Formats: sequence, C-alpha cells, structure tokens
Amino acid sequence: MTILDFKNVSIDFPTSKGVVHAVTDISLSVPEGRRIGFIGESGSGKTTTALAAMRMLAKPGFVSQGEIHLNSLGKTDILNLTDEEMRRVRLRKISYIPQGAMNSLNPVMRIENQIWDGIIAHEGAVTDVELKRRSDVALNGVGLDPEIVGPLYPHELSGGMKQRVCIAIGVCLDPDLIIADEPTSALDVITQRHVMQTLRDVQAKIGAGLILIGHDMGLMAQSVDDIAVLKKGELVEFGPVRQIIETPQHPYTQELISSVPLVGGESFLDPAPATPAEGFKTEDGTPLLELRNVTKRYGSVTALHPMSFTLDGEVPKIISIVGQSGSGKSTMGSLMLGFNAPTEGEVLFKGRDINRQSPDEALTFRKEVQAVFQDPYACFNPFYRVNHTLKFPFERFGLSKGADHTTEAMEEACRAVGLAPETVLGRYPHQLSGGQRQRLIVARALMLSPKLLIADEPVSMVDASLRATILKNIHDLKDRHGISIIYITHDLATAYHVSDYVMVLYKGHVVEAGPPHDVIGDPQHTYTQLLISSIPWPDLDRDWGSPDDARSALEGLSELEGQQEAILRGTIPGFKLA
Amino acid sequence: MGRIPASYLMNRLSTLVLTVLIAATLIWIIPRLSGLDPASAALGRMAAGGGSVANADEILAQLRSTFGLDQPLIVQYLLYIKNTLTFDFGLSTASFPTPVATMIGNALPWTLGLMMISLIITFFIGNLLGALMVWEHTPKLWKAVIPAAMVFTSIPPILSGLLLMYVFSTQLRWFPLSGPYGLNVEPGWTLEFFSSVLYHGFLPAMSIVVVTFGFWALGMRGLMITVQGEDYTTLAKAKGLRPRYILYRYMIRNAILPQITAFALKIGLLVAGQVLVERIFAYPGMGKLLYDAILTQDYPVIQGVSFVIILMTALAVFLVDLVYPFIDPRIRHGG
Amino acid sequence: MADQNAAAPETAAPDVSGLTKAQIKRMKRFDNPWRNPKLIWGVGLLLSIVALGILGRIFWDTEMVFTGSGLPRQAPVGIENMRGQMGSWAHPLGTDVTGKDILALLIVGAPNSLYVGVLASLIGMSIGIFLGFSAGFIGGRVDDVIRVGSDVMITIPPLLILVVFQAAYGDISLTIMAMLIACFVWQSPTRLIRAQVLSMRESGYVQMARLSGASTGHIMFREMLPNLVPYLFGSFIANVTTSIVTAVGLEVLGLGPQRVPTLGRVIYDAINSGALIQNLWWWWGIPTILLAVMFIGLLLINLGLDEVSNPRLRRL
Repeated sequence: MTILDFKNVSIDFPTSKGVVHAVTDISLSVPEGRRIGFIGESGSGKTTTALAAMRMLAKPGFVSQGEIHLNSLGKTDILNLTDEEMRRVRLRKISYIPQGAMNSLNPVMRIENQIWDGIIAHEGAVTDVELKRRSDVALNGVGLDPEIVGPLYPHELSGGMKQRVCIAIGVCLDPDLIIADEPTSALDVITQRHVMQTLRDVQAKIGAGLILIGHDMGLMAQSVDDIAVLKKGELVEFGPVRQIIETPQHPYTQELISSVPLVGGESFLDPAPATPAEGFKTEDGTPLLELRNVTKRYGSVTALHPMSFTLDGEVPKIISIVGQSGSGKSTMGSLMLGFNAPTEGEVLFKGRDINRQSPDEALTFRKEVQAVFQDPYACFNPFYRVNHTLKFPFERFGLSKGADHTTEAMEEACRAVGLAPETVLGRYPHQLSGGQRQRLIVARALMLSPKLLIADEPVSMVDASLRATILKNIHDLKDRHGISIIYITHDLATAYHVSDYVMVLYKGHVVEAGPPHDVIGDPQHTYTQLLISSIPWPDLDRDWGSPDDARSALEGLSELEGQQEAILRGTIPGFKLA
Repeated sequence: MGRIPASYLMNRLSTLVLTVLIAATLIWIIPRLSGLDPASAALGRMAAGGGSVANADEILAQLRSTFGLDQPLIVQYLLYIKNTLTFDFGLSTASFPTPVATMIGNALPWTLGLMMISLIITFFIGNLLGALMVWEHTPKLWKAVIPAAMVFTSIPPILSGLLLMYVFSTQLRWFPLSGPYGLNVEPGWTLEFFSSVLYHGFLPAMSIVVVTFGFWALGMRGLMITVQGEDYTTLAKAKGLRPRYILYRYMIRNAILPQITAFALKIGLLVAGQVLVERIFAYPGMGKLLYDAILTQDYPVIQGVSFVIILMTALAVFLVDLVYPFIDPRIRHGG
Repeated sequence: MADQNAAAPETAAPDVSGLTKAQIKRMKRFDNPWRNPKLIWGVGLLLSIVALGILGRIFWDTEMVFTGSGLPRQAPVGIENMRGQMGSWAHPLGTDVTGKDILALLIVGAPNSLYVGVLASLIGMSIGIFLGFSAGFIGGRVDDVIRVGSDVMITIPPLLILVVFQAAYGDISLTIMAMLIACFVWQSPTRLIRAQVLSMRESGYVQMARLSGASTGHIMFREMLPNLVPYLFGSFIANVTTSIVTAVGLEVLGLGPQRVPTLGRVIYDAINSGALIQNLWWWWGIPTILLAVMFIGLLLINLGLDEVSNPRLRRL
C-alpha cells in the first residue's frame, strides 16, 4: 500500500527571463514504512518536489500540472485542500525535518514548548501533564534527556542535538510520512552518523514512510530502501538502492556514483606525467615552509597546540590536514597565510618569519603563497566582473607585460582548468555557477605560479560531480606546475587520493600522521578509526552499524580528551613532522 | 537561570553613567567656551532682552555663588557636577527666586505622561502594522492601505501638530487649543479632571503618533521579511501551526527584538520631537518650560531642563537594556 | 528560500511564453533595483524644491523677504482674507503680518533648510566613514573608544545640546548650525560602517584581495566601499532628514540663524504672531507643506535605496 503518490507533477517558477520548469512530469509513490531517497545536485528539483507535497513551495513557484495524493485522505488531491485542511495535514500526516539544523528552532522558545505547540495545534486542548508526557517520549526517542534538554533554549544545544530535536518534533504525532531535507548537511561525519541512525530508528518504530533528500550517494546507501535520481527537474532513474548502486542504468546515475571518491578505491586523478615539474630549491637547503612550535590561543581556548614541521618543496608535495570543525585545521591555514599571528612560535617561509617582514618581502611572500578557500560564492567581489579577481593580483605582482598579455594569461589559465574563457571572463560572479567560480579561483592561483598553495576545503561547497574535476585541477598544479600544496579538508576519501602525507587533527593536536595509505587505509588511533567508520559508504555490504554503535563511539570520543599522543606512521622525503 | 549576566549589567550601567556625565559636562563647557563670565553674560542677555533687572545685584550675587565663580575652574566643575547630580540647578533668573528644580518638578509629570502614552501607542501600532505588511494572511485591502499611511511618517511631529491643531482645534473646534486641562476644572483625583486631561492631551499625543508609527512600521517590515525567510518560520509552517500563532509567537516575537534596541537608540530624537509639540500646544511640560526660558534668556532653566531631559532619555535606554535580557534568552543564558 | 530561487534558473532554459507584458515589466524592474519608482519620485520631489530655489531667484524678486514689501495679511491669489481683501498676483502666496512676501520667503528659505540638512549630513557621514573604518580596521582600544563613544552620543538628543549652545552664543550662521548638527549625526553611520566592515573583513573577497597583496587603502576603497554604497546612501538620506528635523526644531524654538529666512523661522514667526487664531493659514501652512514635501521626498528615496540594498524588499 502506498502512502503518497506523485502523479505527473510539474512545477514552474516564473522569473524575469521567463518561466523556469523546475520539475517536469514526475510520477512516484512512497509505500508504507519504506525509505525513499531523492538524490540530485543543486537545481535538480529534489527539494522542490518534496516541498510540493507539503504545499510549501517558495514563491513564486507553483504546481503547474499533476496530482499529489495522500492515501489516508482518500481520493482527495492534496493540491485541492483548503489552507486550513492543509494545515491539519502538516505534521499530523506529513512532517518535515529541515536542512538548516542551526536555525530551525525558534530561538526565544524553550525546546519542550516547541514540541507542545505542534501537539496543541492539531489536537486542541491537551493537559499540561499529557503534553509533558508526550514531549518526554519524543525527546527520549531521539536519545535526549527530557529533564535536561526540555527547558533549554536552542542556542544552548549543539548542532547535532538541535537536529535530533527537529526529528523529535517530526515524529511526535506519528505521521504517515516524514520528509527529511538534507538533515545532516551542516553536521560533521561523526554526528551525521548518529543523527541519521536516530532518524532511521524512530522512523522504523512508528512505521512511517520517509523521503530523504540528499546529494551524498554514500549517505543514501546507508539510509534508504529506494533511490530516485533527479536531474534538471526530471526523474532519470528510480529503483531499489542495491540496483541503483550496483547496476545503474542511466549515464547520469553512473556519473554520480563514479564521481564519489572512495578510500581504497580507484583514483580519479590523471596519471602523473613522466617528468614531474621542478619544485623550489634553495642553495643552502632552507625549507620552503617551516612551523616552529606554533601555538594559537583565543582567550582561554587553545585552538592549536605547539606544532612544528618542515616542508622543503624541492619535489612538490600535497600535505593534507584532516579534521572536523573545531579541530584547528582552518586556524593552521590562516596562520600559514599570515592572516593571523601565532600566540607562540613562528611561521617561516624560505627561512623568514612571515610576521616580521618588510613591505617588499611581504609582497613577495604574497606572490609566492596563494590560497583557494571554501566558499566560491564569497571569493568574488559582487561589485566587479570576475576578471578583477584574476587581473588585480597579476598586475599587482608585476607579472603583467601589458593589457594584452594579462588577457592572454587569463584565457590560458581558464583553459588549463577546463573553462572556456569566453563563457566566464567578462561576467559578473552571480552569473556563474559555484563550480565555475571555484575553478576560476584555481585558475587565478595558476596565473600567479606561487610556490605554495593553501587549499582550505576547496570542494566542500561544490556539487559532487565537479569535486573530482576541481581536485584534479589542484593536483595538476603540483605535477605540472611544481607548486607545493597544503590541502585542508574534513573529507578523508579525497585526502586519501590526492595527498602524499596526511596529518589528522583533533582539538588542536596531531593525533595521527603519515602516508595516506597507512593513516587512512589502516588507522591506528581511536579518533582516526572513528572518523573512518563514520563515513557512509556507498556499499551496501559495508554497514554503518546501529545507533548504539554511534552513541558509544561518541562516548569514546569524550574519553579521548586526555590521550593526545600522536601516532606517527612513517615519513616521506621532504616533509618532517616534529 | 533567568539572571542577567553581571558583565552585561556593568556594561549598561557604565554607559548610563558615561552618558549622564558627558551631557552634564557639555552643558557646563559650552557657555564657558565663549570666554564670558557666565553670570554677567546671563545678566547682559537679560538686559538686552529687555527683562527687568531691578534686583540685578541680588541676581548677580546669586549667579556667582551658583557657578562658584570665585573658585578655580576645576572646583567650579566639580561643584557643578555635584549640584547637577543632586538636582540643584540654582534659581531661575526670569522668575527669581524660584528654584529651577521646583519648576522642573512641576513640568516633568506632564511630559512623562504624554511621552509614555504617545511612545507606547506608536510603538505598538507601528510594529503591528509593519508586521501586517509582510504577513501572508493579511487581507488585501489592508496591504494596500498601510503603505499609503507611511507617506506621512517622515514629517516631524511639530508639523503634524500644527496641521492637527489647525484642523481639529481652530477649524472644527473638536478639541481645545491649548493647556493641559479645562480652565474651570479643579485638579484632583476626580473623573472630571482625568477626562479633561485626556481630552486636552489627545491632540498633542496624536500629533506624535501619526507621524512616528511609520518609523516602527518600516523597521518592522524589514525585520519581518528577514524572519519570514528564517528556517524556524518554515518549520513552524511545516508543523501545521495556526497562522496567527506563527505570526505572534514566531515572527513578531523574534522581529521585535532589534526594534526594542532601536527604541532605546531612538528615544533621544523622539523626546526632542515631543518637546516641540508641547511648545505648539502650550502644554505645561518640559518643552514649554524650555521655550519660555529661551524667550526670557533664563540660562539656569535651560541648563536644568536640558540636563533632566537627557537624564530621562539615558534612564529610558537603561531601562530598556534591563528588560531586554528577559525577552531574549540568548543574552540571559550567555549566547 | 533564497537558495531555491537562485537554483531554479540553472535548471533549464526559461520559456517566455505564458507571461503577460506587465509581468515581464515588473520583473525587469526587479532585476534593476535602481530604476524603482520610489527612488525616482523621491529624487523628483527634492529636485523640484531645488528648482523652486533656482527659478525663483531668476523670476521672482527675493528682496521681498523683508518687512513691508507689501500689504500685511494678504491671502493667496483668488482668496479673501479676514478683512475682505482679495489676494492678488503681486503676492501669489500672500503676505505675513509685517508684509513679507510668502513666496519670496519660500524661495530663499526652502533651499536653506535643504542646505543645512545636506551639509550637516555630509560632515556627519565623513566623520562616520572615518571612525567606522578606523574602528573596524584597527580594532582593539580604538574600536572600544569609538564604539562606546557612539553608543553614548546616540542617546543624547542633539536638539537640547544645541539649545544650550545657542542660548549661550546667540545668533549663528546657517553653516555653523550645520556644523553643530553634524556633531550629532555621525553616530549611526559610524555604527553601520563598523558593523559592515567587521563582517566584510572576514569575507572571501577581502581575503582574496589580501592574498593579492592589496594595500589597506585598496581594500577599504576599492573592495569594501563600492559594496557599501547603497548603505551609505541610505544612511546619508536618513541623516539629512534628522538634520533638517533638528534645524527646523531649533528654528521653531526661535533659535538658529536670526537674520536668514528659513522655513522653520517663518513658522516660528507665524506661531508667535498668533497666525493660527487669526486664520492666516497660508503663513504657516504653506511652509509646513513644503517641508512635508521635502521629508516625503527623502523618505521615498530611503525606501527606494532599501530595495536596492535588500532584494527581499522588492516585490514581484
């Protein structure tokens, strides 16, 4: 028996340039108790389709044709309900777990009140005792202690806890269907595993259907029964999860699956050229980059404990710094760029302390050390055409031999990262996609031919299918242009493929370091092991474990506090961690 | 739980003290910068203004002792600060020898009453209308009418006061032209007195309300649009809550917070506007006192009134700051 | 919500059929925020006041601002005054009790009020830009002092300090008055710019500029300032309003410049001479309406600018 049926649904968005068909002719059914995954990239219509079932499309979008049936309502089309009838469907029949875990709860209302108001809105007068009992059950169900969490305000909870509260709200009225819109996109892997398992657990308990919206094939493989693949508003493939993952039919699905880098899987990189590019050499053997007991404290919080290493740069290397949010990895990035001065110790570039340079030296340092940042949307000044971002440093560093030369260099750099110059240059940033922008930033780095590149989460905000391409571009900088790279990431799988050496950071300490095949392929430290086991594998035979596993893993993490001895797993020439 | 963090309290308290000290100092320094002996300067202006200087010597002596003019500057300053903080502003030169503090004491209740009523009404009406401009369930007619009302919102209250007075007092004669209550009404705790006060206070209050509610409405509109896009509003809708409940408990409840901060920042300008309205309606508050003092060049009164109004403003800001943590849990529980 | 709107156009080629011309026109306006009717109307109203000042000086005798330029208490043209005299074209907007020509007063007075507002706001903005950037960039103690200073000064009503000042000094010129008012309108731009600079400092494009070896000056003026423009404009217009309100307030209290005609001064004279009771409505009413037009113009500009800097305020 099905709970919800989409019948030939199309959704349109009128814009100034005409009507955009966000969703075209989708038909799909959600059977009782079954979990359906909607997978696709941004703009694929996956969220739009699901929101249509809630009748909560963002304006000016509307359903232009088709019907949506909720079977517990009989033969009525959801689209024909009155507003009041629709209101009574929400939460009671179909509940919604939103994407932004951080902002989904009313900041001025206690947690338990936010469960109660939902109950009252659908059941009318309910006694206080009964409300309390119901919210206690709901919070207990997602593993939160109602006595502690109930009276708190949202800002007093962590991201993972807030998202579990949202799940508690979503299931408190035993709905027929739960729609979860990328519920873990703002969370780190360890928390993600816990939240997803909680969701799976409570969903199974109440026997509701589940629509999980996401873009991560691994997460889907671990969480759903069927997968619907959407591309540009069309349903391109639908079937049981095993069939989709093991024998995908549609080329787009195949591409989605093959674009996910796997630890131990096939490399997505081009083979290294026969003669790798020359790196940087000094006569007296001074290393390219050296950190001496670098420590960073913000007030009483230590973001980075003393850290020392040397990178000689003679043969270009990619050094990965891996960690979750709050591990101190981004602090390291900004210390190495000289954006931040260390509290203790010094950062040396070619033997000179980067925080004690003359203006001339500082300019040379800027030219030789470049960066790619996480957010490709923020990196371009919205006031200027994208050329400004490429042209300004090129001229500022005296690399330009005139306007024609600059244009030539820009076009060449664009082609090197696989962009057609005429489609990107001369445009405003908002006219380009995130992937195009991030590739332009890589092109910019290429134009300046620095000695060292700090890449801080360069692909975490880019669609999955483009990640491999951009990492390939970055990897090429090393092989073909002789640039040493510090790759900062939370993603172990990409670090496994691109890097020559990996350092795993936890709360400002290095907990494990060495060549990637040892550290990530065969982790020894508890924390590294936990990180690896929390990755959702797009492999159905490799199970994620139960919610209890996740919970005990989180508890294991809190015991780690005292034990901060780094496990060193071997060395590579040209890089030394002290 | 539920206590205001000490650091927050200290911070606000020091702002209050600093504001009052700076205001007092400015009032002291400004006349001295002109290089004149404030006593004889005041007297000179009185004479020039054609005021009676029959008892000039007495007034001069009084002024000298008030300003402590035989003392060194720093002592004069400290003496002044001490006097000001104890509300001893000396004696009025125009209605000598009435203490300035007494005159202010008589005028203050009228101003406070008018201010509280008009400010509170505008704040509520303005924010509610601003919220309704954004709310998706507001009737279409309302959505068309409210923005039209906004046009008048940038006009200072003194101009609206003039217009209202002309239309409703001199032309239609619906409301009295001036004064706080009817001439034949005996002040006291009687219904007659109160209704007379309300009747007389209506136009002055209205002239502030009609032109200031729009400021709040426009601010609220912007904030509501932001709140409307917040994830918690989306979730509230997805929870199937009643639209009215979402409006009050989710949208307005959050959007009002920056408005309350803005209220504290805007009080100074609103009070100044009201001072002028009092002058038009001859309402016996601080504004009229100030205006009369300007006419008669009564410097001690000008000084005293200015200080007390600034003190009132600073206290109002402080009060708002004190209340704020109770409506925003993020401050109360260290956000 | 915003994400979906942004994501939608990427999906497929839009198809223009099925949209009315009016809809397309509305949407074009959405895309170019500077071409919004509020902004145009607001600028138009202010320009008409400037035009009144310029054309009036060419085509009208501004010497008639002095006492005895005509018969006293004359009503505007075509209207009878209390003594039964008809208004004439000699004084199309009538005269006051001393026989000053109201039209001449408006021609001279209205631009004066605008001048005080614009000058005070310009000075205040300059102080605000300087302090806001200093606080945001230098940080530390400098930031603390500027932040506390603007917090304190923002609660002090400018009118009262100016009253004290004027009472002590007597007559002042328009320019001095503007400068005095400027001392009280730097706080909000300072706070606004400080907040924007603090958030922009961490933004990707400013970091990119630093990576590109940009000087502090380049970052401030080439990278940050262009993006601040709508906010600065908005703050400037709001300050012009505040400054004119303060100036008019001073004038209505009988302070401010004594010898230069200003709209506030005209209203002061009218109230003092009992124009309300004598039903000389043109004397105070016309300057009041002119001021109201000025304020409405400023408000419309501000609303228009709000739509430029906050796309969510635009309506489809």
